Amino acid sequence: MAAKHKAAQSAKNRRKTSGITKIKGFTLPQQPTHENKKENGQTAAGMILSIGDITRSFGIIIISFCAVFVCTLFLNYNTDLKSIGAQTLQSDVQNLYNALVMTGKMVSILSGGCLLLTSAVMLCFYIRHYVDTHGKMLGILKAMGYPNLRIAAGFSGFGLSILIGSGAGYALAHVTMPQFYRMQNTDGLLPEIRIRFHPALFAALVIVPTIVFCLLSVLYGYFRLKTPVLDLLKGKVSTKIPKEAKDRENAKKSSLPFLQELKTSTRRQQKSLVFFVGFASFCYASMMQMSFGMDELASWMMALMIFLIGVVLSSVTLFLATTSAVKANWKTLALMRAFGYPDKACSNSILGGYRLPACIGFALGTVYQYALLKVAVMFVFAEVEHVPEYRFDVPALILTLISFTALYKIILHVYTEKIKRMSIREVMMGEE
Amino acid sequence: MIKIEDIHKSYGSQDNRTEVLKGISLTVGDGDCIVVLGASGSGKSTLLNVVSGLEYPDSGKILYDGTNIAALSDNERTKFRREKTAFIFQQYYLLPHLNVEKNVKMGADLAKNHDYIAAIAAVGLSEKRRKYPHELSGGEQQRVAVARALAKKPDVLFLDEPTGALDETTGRQVLDYISRLQKELNFTVIMVTHNTNIADMAKTVIRMNSGKVVDIWQNETQKTAYEIGW
Ligand SMILES: Nc1ncnc2c1ncn2[C@@H]1O[C@H](COP(=O)(O)OP(=O)(O)OP(=O)(O)O)[C@@H](O)[C@H]1O
Ligand SMILES: [Mg+2]
Repeated sequence: MAAKHKAAQSAKNRRKTSGITKIKGFTLPQQPTHENKKENGQTAAGMILSIGDITRSFGIIIISFCAVFVCTLFLNYNTDLKSIGAQTLQSDVQNLYNALVMTGKMVSILSGGCLLLTSAVMLCFYIRHYVDTHGKMLGILKAMGYPNLRIAAGFSGFGLSILIGSGAGYALAHVTMPQFYRMQNTDGLLPEIRIRFHPALFAALVIVPTIVFCLLSVLYGYFRLKTPVLDLLKGKVSTKIPKEAKDRENAKKSSLPFLQELKTSTRRQQKSLVFFVGFASFCYASMMQMSFGMDELASWMMALMIFLIGVVLSSVTLFLATTSAVKANWKTLALMRAFGYPDKACSNSILGGYRLPACIGFALGTVYQYALLKVAVMFVFAEVEHVPEYRFDVPALILTLISFTALYKIILHVYTEKIKRMSIREVMMGEE
Repeated sequence: MIKIEDIHKSYGSQDNRTEVLKGISLTVGDGDCIVVLGASGSGKSTLLNVVSGLEYPDSGKILYDGTNIAALSDNERTKFRREKTAFIFQQYYLLPHLNVEKNVKMGADLAKNHDYIAAIAAVGLSEKRRKYPHELSGGEQQRVAVARALAKKPDVLFLDEPTGALDETTGRQVLDYISRLQKELNFTVIMVTHNTNIADMAKTVIRMNSGKVVDIWQNETQKTAYEIGW
């Protein structure tokens, strides 16, 4: 009898340490004492953002890297180019000069601005996703009496990935700059342009983003922590269902098959992912096709750069979106597998709902790049002679469509395989 | 009929290998109610997972009416689970973004069972079928899990500590639903639990200790959920 009691007791203890869900009815402990605070402070901050999370935010690193790399290259060049503007140039060289300044400006505004904006949105999305999936842990820290701001301060680590990405981008831009400057002036029409270091540019592209995103992530975390403790503990943040959706759903008769229902509910529950999938295909479609046009209208270097950025940006975005969709539904997937749903049905119910946004994004991207290049040709090349009229490039569209479909299918396939190999036991037995 | 022959299962890599199941053999008749008892870490959940086809054993056979599921491919096992088994876990694992009705549908659709409304009624939740999991109490959530499992019309129902997170009254209620439905539908029940008293509800009781079956006994009369101690 005693042995049995002991066993039960130890089981209870084990559950207490490993389980978070069991804390349902627990009372708030007192505010940690001063020494405790010091000791726990580190673990609390450490618990919020582990090294693994920072490496997992590699998408943000890559995006900020690309954005800063391109912007630095073109902005630095433009600033240096302008400095020779004061010198008198022959009139035909003047035209070339003007065109160069304008293309440079356009490219950095287009790709750089778009990239910077994306990385900002992506970071917010990532933090939001992170806070939502770690709601329980945040709830515990909050319940133990840690002030919100201290918990939220743990999120400042996200700024680090921005610093890494933008710093590396800035450094690499300076490394490749001599080559770039030479290539922009292969005809030797312009006087040699000296590479100069512009502190303002460094501040604007590296320091400011780091600080801004650091603050942004802490603020976002802080805002999220305003949720009542119990809701955090129950993981309510991520299971919030908007009232209208609920009413709408209850109004209609539920006659759809389960898999269909799951697909719609997944899509609705993760609106941000819908946006990102659409965004990824938008980027891919526009940048890929734009690079074909650029090759004719500008230099192959620009074309290559836009091409690479398009591929990197959209693959990373697509990858991050799929990863979070799968991660957020990992338990559902495990359960479906346990119940005997086939692998294909499992992955399709979670990821299949994103096909429509992908198509819409692709169509928008195609239209966007066409309009943009039309306008660009009109303005930038207005004074330059021998610029062929820009026409819609059908082969480019087909090539882009095929390659994007392939990319999409590959990612889908990778995840279907991953789902196939998941250990149902580990998901179901491990509580978090 | 389920025949389990000499199952072994270990975890870990070569140098820190722990053998969790050390040769288990059992026979379970159709429509039986089996309770597996044992201390924490004795391998109960592992046994349940291996027998239910969630995991492969290292060696040994698990014969369902003569078919050895340990030798099936992954796709065949998925099909096996789809057609024969259902699960109820301690943590309920309802899908949080779907209401009760749709959660139950998850099981019903697999068996092409169109009468999922009846399955919800069978656990007394007709009133709450539009509610979402977070709007239900623990006991109600577990009853939804029961409805979901049974809407699948399984031959064998596997339960891993189904009352582990519930208090006495709600636990009894859930168990009562399960045993009444078992009488009605006549599926086999294999249940893992810490609670020795629940064993009084079973026909066969198995006690495990560090990966081995140390005791098996049969109850002559099976008590109801309201007659057992807690
Ligand atoms: N993936 C794994 N890797 C290594 N060891 C494992 C793994 N899964 C389980 N074990 C070990 O196997 C043993 C049996 O685990 P199991 O979950 O079957 O125990 P249990 O009897 O269900 O315990 P409880 O009553 O606490 O649920 C434990 O000692 C556990 O540490
Ligand atoms: Mg167990």
